[in-house]
Parts: sequence; structure tokens; C-alpha cells
Amino acid sequence: MPFDCIKLEDVDEISVVRFKDEKVMDPSRIEKMGQELMSLAGDDDQRNLLINFEDVRFFSSAAINKLIVLEKRMRAGGGEIKLSNLRPEVRDLFSFTNLDGLFDIREQQSDAIRSFVKSTSD
Amino acid sequence: MNPLEPAWRKQKSIPSSSRHAVDLIRELLDQLELSQWTNRQIFGIHLAMEEALMNAIKHGNLNDESKTVCVEIELTKEQFQAKITDEGEGFCLEDVPDPTEDVNLELPSGRGVAMIKNFVDQAIYNPTGNSVTLMARRKTKPAD
Repeated sequence: MPFDCIKLEDVDEISVVRFKDEKVMDPSRIEKMGQELMSLAGDDDQRNLLINFEDVRFFSSAAINKLIVLEKRMRAGGGEIKLSNLRPEVRDLFSFTNLDGLFDIREQQSDAIRSFVKSTSD
Repeated sequence: MNPLEPAWRKQKSIPSSSRHAVDLIRELLDQLELSQWTNRQIFGIHLAMEEALMNAIKHGNLNDESKTVCVEIELTKEQFQAKITDEGEGFCLEDVPDPTEDVNLELPSGRGVAMIKNFVDQAIYNPTGNSVTLMARRKTKPAD
């Protein structure tokens, strides 16, 4: 399935998502991005997701709300979601609103991938 | 130059659509970059303006494009200030759920207001709740 707002690749059996927009702020793009993310959560083959924020310079509260809905859906289906490579100011968005308790946030993609492997092998 | 003298000032009433808000924010960001504010401060001001304008459009004017959002921005060498006013009935800040409370973490509302508070030095709402004034002081000395 082609995506407009996200890029998807498999790394060590983990689905890694990146955003195509540097600034995730346009309401119609956020809506589309939310739909694309939810389509991944609905796919039985996509049990674990890593969202790599390396290319993201701006992220609004509306975009964060989409991630919260996704996290809920993933959790309900027994999947896991992790975030990595957040710029300090984007990381602040999550810590200022206590969302770093809801999401597992890692410095680097490789750390996050390793932690998935560890949690699935435990 | 007097540090309190406005380096840039903008007063505009925009229709309640995100496209107009985005254009205005872009113009402000250009000015902040031109005045060499740090990336972190630009991010904070961008975020606060984005959230305040979207709140005004969505919750204040209920996305009614016949209603306008009045924006007044003043940028001096030392500080940024913006007043955003919508035509809505306003809201009571105390009624907005605190998104940092565990029970509210997954709620969609209240996060924008909390972000505004954290990313600028001051966010003051009028008693009606249909107008907010944002202020951020420059953290580093601008180049002469």
C-alpha cells in the first residue's frame, strides 16, 4: 500500500516508520498521517512499530493525539510501539505533557530495535 | 537601536482556516530567523502560536470561515509578544483537563493549552477566554 505521509521499512523484523514531512502541522496531512498509521496497527503482520523522528523538526499536539490513538490500538492488539531519534525540542513535547510515561522513547533507532528483540525474547 | 522598539509588527484578521494560520506563522518564523533567535526558541514560539491559532479556529470559531481570528504580533530585539482573539464564547482555563495527570494522559483535549504554557514565558487569557496573549523573552543576546 503506498503512503503519502509516512515511509515504512523493515529492520530486523520490526516495522520502522518515518514521516515524510519535516513539519507535521497541516491538519489535513495530520488526518492522513493518522489514517496511514492506523492501517499499520490493523495489519496482523505488523505487531511492533518503531517511529523514527530523525527527520521531524516540528510536531503539533494534534499529531501527538494521533500517536496516542495508535498506541492504544497497538496495545489492545498485543503489539508494541516505540519512538526514537527525537530532537531535544520534540522530546520536550513528550516530557512536558508526561507522555514519556506512555511511550517508550529511545535515543537511537538501534537501541529501540535491540529493546524490541530483548522484550520479545524474554 | 532601542531593544524595546518593535523590529517587526503585524496586525491581521484571518478567516478561520488553517491555511491562513500557516501562512501567518511562516511569516513570523522568517522574522525570528532573520533576527537570529535560537532554533529552540523558534520551535517554542512556533508551537505556542500554532496551538493558540488552531484552538481559536477550531474551538473558538468552530471552523466557521465567516468568523475571523484577530492576530497582533510584536517582535522587539528582546521579546516576542502575540495576542490572538477569536469570536467564540471563550472557555474557562480551570475546566480544561490537565493532560499530565495519569487519568487524562490518553484524552485528546488539553494538551495544546499545556504545551503553550510550557513553551513560552507567559500565556495570559482574558476573563472571557476568547483571547490569549503570548510572550517569550529572548534567551541569548542578539548579534549587533
